[in-house]
Amino acid sequence: MRKPLLPTLLALILCALPAHAGELDAFAGKSGKIDIAGGTAHIPVMKEAAKRIMQKAAGIRITVAGGGSGVGVQKVGEGLVDIGNTGRALTEAEVAKYGLKSYAFAIDGVAAVVNPKNPVSALTHQQVQDIFAGKITNWKQLGGRDAAIHLYTRDEASGTREVFWEIMLKKGQIAPSANVVASNGAMKTALAGDADAVGYVSIGHIDQTIKAPLLNGVAPTQDNAKSGKYPVIRKLYMNTKGEPAGIVASFISYIQGPEGAAITASDGYIPTR
Amino acid sequence: MADALSLSDAGGGTGERGVLALLAGAAGAGALCVAGILGFLAWFSLPLLAPGQLASVLSWTWQPTSGRFGILPMTVGSLLLGSSALTLAYPLGLGLAFFAHGLGPGWAARPLTALVRLMTGVPTVVYGLASAFLLTPLLRAGFEGTSGFSWLAAMLVLALLVLPTIVLVLDGQLRLVLPGLGITAAALGLTPPQTLVRLALPLCGPGLKSAAVLGFGRAVGDTLIPLMLSGNAAQLPHSPLDSLRALTAHIGLVLATDSQSAAYGSLFACGLMLFGVSLAVNLALRGLRRSPAQATVSARPGPGLERAASALAWVSAILVPAAVCSLLGFLLLRGAPTLSPALFFCDTPALDALFRGAPVFDGLWPACLGTLWLVALASALAIPVGIAGGIHLAEFATGRAARLASFCVDLLAGVPSILMGLFGFALILLLRRSFWPSANTCLLLSALCLALLVLPYLVSATHAALAGLPQDLRLTCAALGLTRWQAVSRVLLPAARQGILGGVILAIGRAAEDTAVILLTGVVAGAGRLGTLTDKFEALPFTIYYLAAEHQTPQELDLAFGAALTLLALTLALFALARRLGAGWRPGI
Repeated sequence: MRKPLLPTLLALILCALPAHAGELDAFAGKSGKIDIAGGTAHIPVMKEAAKRIMQKAAGIRITVAGGGSGVGVQKVGEGLVDIGNTGRALTEAEVAKYGLKSYAFAIDGVAAVVNPKNPVSALTHQQVQDIFAGKITNWKQLGGRDAAIHLYTRDEASGTREVFWEIMLKKGQIAPSANVVASNGAMKTALAGDADAVGYVSIGHIDQTIKAPLLNGVAPTQDNAKSGKYPVIRKLYMNTKGEPAGIVASFISYIQGPEGAAITASDGYIPTR
Repeated sequence: MADALSLSDAGGGTGERGVLALLAGAAGAGALCVAGILGFLAWFSLPLLAPGQLASVLSWTWQPTSGRFGILPMTVGSLLLGSSALTLAYPLGLGLAFFAHGLGPGWAARPLTALVRLMTGVPTVVYGLASAFLLTPLLRAGFEGTSGFSWLAAMLVLALLVLPTIVLVLDGQLRLVLPGLGITAAALGLTPPQTLVRLALPLCGPGLKSAAVLGFGRAVGDTLIPLMLSGNAAQLPHSPLDSLRALTAHIGLVLATDSQSAAYGSLFACGLMLFGVSLAVNLALRGLRRSPAQATVSARPGPGLERAASALAWVSAILVPAAVCSLLGFLLLRGAPTLSPALFFCDTPALDALFRGAPVFDGLWPACLGTLWLVALASALAIPVGIAGGIHLAEFATGRAARLASFCVDLLAGVPSILMGLFGFALILLLRRSFWPSANTCLLLSALCLALLVLPYLVSATHAALAGLPQDLRLTCAALGLTRWQAVSRVLLPAARQGILGGVILAIGRAAEDTAVILLTGVVAGAGRLGTLTDKFEALPFTIYYLAAEHQTPQELDLAFGAALTLLALTLALFALARRLGAGWRPGI
């Protein structure tokens, strides 16, 4: 997978720092379980952290499931999991109803993406809105080849969808004919196999199998997202019901700490740290 | 059967009465399960009866962001998908049955029947995976303006899924009818094709309709194929190349929402809709079973009918094996190179994983172990109850209670598996809010829901195996002075054991392949190693579904194909074993 250079370097440097080698010690000799579900952009980071922690502490079992941000809120709110991930800030209603606490650990952009074979390499904000509203229906209208545009969107539980819809589409309509996929990964798979597709993914998921056209002349990269040049951004959160305790608290500080930041960066996101 | 046994009704002490009560209880459990599931769906749908809510749910727009929760597009989607898959599969099924019964060359009939039997053992998630990476790109390349994920894709694969059901029902009917016709037909100077088309087929009357009804029920009840292939847009499709969303897939996609919202409530309305469909299917089947076969021999002159049947037989015998072999061949081609210890253990030393419980990441071992435990638990829960219920229905039940119990078992067999999952999930939420706040989705819950799913298979298999025993056996037992329970336990059960064992193995195969139930009741994408019964777990079918959709790297997709091959090998082995034991697949006729 091709990764942006800066985060990779950052990751290498952070990994190399001997001072942080002992971060996993917080888990040594501990036991218990942590169930995680929700945002699909979070999964690579969660899985890598789970792997490192479980290899260090045999008594700890961490399970990771996806489902989307909606699932994250629902499951942690109902107490079915310990950490519910969301790719968007919680609403006041959600916080009030379930008593949730949020812990941000990464900044991520959401970009409109196409198949690498698609010659269209730049779009305006307005064009993206018109494509998803179903007003522009052929790539020819955008300077591409003469082929119908295949729309892909996410289900309503998706935080990626919510951020894209609010900021990119300005809460405009998404054509009901759009195919619905269940995760960032599934979106990538669908777009990689369909030369006439357009969809949207977390920038952390962009690799050589899909292509992100410039938006109003700005490349959707994590650097531009960090500097504020690229506007469609969000934070990735872990949420708990009430104050976390025990190994759940340790897990959250591990993800927010230097080693977690290195994992976050190596998965293509910008650590908030 | 019960009549024959009433001779020795007087025998038996309190111990025997206890055993009989237990058996009756087991049969009653089937009825209770149906009542429980229906009750849950109804209870959770109740909020929809509030003013305005019902109109909102029974509308044509699904846009939760603007408060519109119409489920009609999904209802129509399910019906369209089910009926179109059946329309495609039915003639092909008829053609295959013709081919196997004399319209094709004799040497080809056996391998063809074997292929159809093999198809019964292919998990739906495996069909979904192979089609998502073989069929949808082909459709995309072949038709302008479609993404490939469409009504058409889901319909084609669903047709393959329901085809064995149709063929085996028709095949069973023809086997019953044909032997009695041979001499008469020969005496009349009819050729074998004429006998088949003009005499045997009309005699199959209700069987022909049963095949259609069962096929429809199976097509509407499937979750994974629509979820993976139909594109899931909540709209009315204008052409087969458009995307549509089925009710089952809708439940899987939307269960993720806030459990106190109207969207969540609307899911139970979807559940009721699906339940309604399986009820209708069941009532139709019962009606068909009562109506006697009426032979209306087709006397129209001319050889057209035989020629048409022969053409249909040949077309089916070429198309169906070609489709199945290309899907499974593709799977083998993609999956075989991944088979190695690394597929199961990745970089964890195998011995550490096997004996010391070392966690395995990016390998299939935890999923294999999860599936084994899941199947073992579900079997432990379902097998005793299922067999006891089957014994009760076959040997002891009489009157209205018996009819009610067997109706419930049939109905339970038709309930789509996603509803079992929905039931399990809602059960946990209810328990948490009432007297068991620490209840959670877990291995045990999944096993329980899977047990409900396979229970009717076990009851029917046991019932059928006992009912198939010669009547003399029962009379002899009675004449020897055996009590009813002695007759069952010492003579009838041992005589029927192969059929029952076959049913058990079929149930295990069904439990191993189901994805929709565990999707909602505690399966996760990564756990590293197996936990306790109350922990979440990994399982092979879900791993395939998850990796097919969410793989980050080509290696992860390889893992999905490896997992599919592993699961396919497991279920095919189980089905082959069941076949050897002589149970075969028993359609509900």
